[in-house]
Amino acid sequence: MRAVVAIARNTFREALRDRVLYLFLGFALVLLASSKLFGLLTVGDEGKVIKDFGLAGIQLATMLIAVMMSVLLISREVDSRTVYNILAKPVRRWQFLIGKYLGLLATVAANLALMTAVLLVVTAVYLRELDAGLLFAAAMTLLEMALLTAFATLFAVLTRPMLGSVFTLAVFVIGHVSEDIWLLTRHVHGGLVRPLVAAVYAVLPNLERFNFKTEVVHDLGISSGQVALTVIYGLAYTALVLVLACARFRSKDLV
Amino acid sequence: MRRRLATGAAVLALGAIVIASGRGLQAIPRNDVLGKQLLYLPTPEILKLASLGNQGLMADLLYIWSIQYYSQFSLDEKFLYLENVFDLVTDLDPHYFDAYRIGALIMSVQRSGDPAQHKAAVARLYDKGLANMPDSWELAEVAAWDAHLVLNDQELALRWMRMASERPGAPPEVKRVYGRWRDNIHGWTIEDSIAYWEEVLAEAERKPDINLATSHLYDSYVTLHRRRLDPLLGAIRQRTGGCPGSWQEVVDRGLLPEAPLDYLGNPYTIDPATCTLVAHKRIRWD
Repeated sequence: MRAVVAIARNTFREALRDRVLYLFLGFALVLLASSKLFGLLTVGDEGKVIKDFGLAGIQLATMLIAVMMSVLLISREVDSRTVYNILAKPVRRWQFLIGKYLGLLATVAANLALMTAVLLVVTAVYLRELDAGLLFAAAMTLLEMALLTAFATLFAVLTRPMLGSVFTLAVFVIGHVSEDIWLLTRHVHGGLVRPLVAAVYAVLPNLERFNFKTEVVHDLGISSGQVALTVIYGLAYTALVLVLACARFRSKDLV
Repeated sequence: MRRRLATGAAVLALGAIVIASGRGLQAIPRNDVLGKQLLYLPTPEILKLASLGNQGLMADLLYIWSIQYYSQFSLDEKFLYLENVFDLVTDLDPHYFDAYRIGALIMSVQRSGDPAQHKAAVARLYDKGLANMPDSWELAEVAAWDAHLVLNDQELALRWMRMASERPGAPPEVKRVYGRWRDNIHGWTIEDSIAYWEEVLAEAERKPDINLATSHLYDSYVTLHRRRLDPLLGAIRQRTGGCPGSWQEVVDRGLLPEAPLDYLGNPYTIDPATCTLVAHKRIRWD
């Protein structure tokens, strides 16, 4: 466990050195400027626009961090040959991989926490309210990102860095549209389209299950059962993907 | 040094070209084919897919674009797709209160086309909103006032105000407005009106609400009593050639068991000129 934490901490520090937190600063400034701007342009509830922009910005920015960082997850260690030094020590391959995953997730979580804090400040300043629902929506986004980061880890093990990023991005896109496409295929009769889409829908995660933005923005009720099942779904799926990644990494030729 | 100077000069020159060409392009008027942008309006399904889970944000962007676009009243053809645009926004975010309110407002003030069709479109948009937001008395009230003041459709206004008054959390003011409108358009029997105002009075907690409901009840009872007692006074005058001076005289003739009282328990009087019931409404408003 100590090895996992050490590798995670190192990965997190490495990410900080890569200045990915600049993305947070950029986001914060854009959010501050644009939310007021769009608030001025709208007629009616300025708060809805600010919250929609903020939550969407948080989701997209953290997704980009997960996708971008996955490029460097394993390949950099292999290229710089530091992976051999690490694995020569009493560190098992799965520990190395989980440590890398947790380090990347910590980077994503730190960014998400900072961006959420900025959004809370923006809503407090402009709307004079502290909406706890925003924290809930951000927590669900973190759960979504935990799963996406697990996929980034899997693809980092399975394929080349650039392809890994593309695949992770594809999981994000498909994860958000698969349910709608699956529903649309109800209008398709015959052929291979429907079973194909159904198979994709069954295998890939449905990331819309983590999307509570509408409920939070409109202050609609969310049942505790739904939240509990979402958390179980997210954690179980993440664990499954990480197990697959560890299994593949165990037999991977690192030369 | 020379290379740096050359680089700096190149940057300046290219920057100048960019600025000049940009200004030149800005000066050239663009052809604005009427409604052209709207021809490519995507379906809600496509926009929902493209939003990757951020359909609320997509609805915001479309809504903000639409209120800028429809703010220019010079191009009437723009309004051809008005209903589609706000249908799209509210498909993406069915709880978007402002989209219903502002969409209906723009539809109701547009000048081109058939006013009856605009009215029907406003009704469709509000009905859609009222179905999507079953707990919002606010939207039903806004819809009712728009129908009352802008569309001048009192039946529609009454239908939506009733909806507002029946929704959870509706304030007494809304219930009062509904009762008042209902009374005004004579859509109720006097008994219906009394039953309604009794209900409002029972729910009222603030003094002004109690007073207003009491006032409506008072008027309703006066109407009910007039309906019963004025024909009696008319019959007495016809028979005797004169009008009774007080209700006690009517009681003494054996035509009433006792002198009628108003809703607050005060006696009525009789107008000798018209020989009709006179009420003396005294409600303390402080």
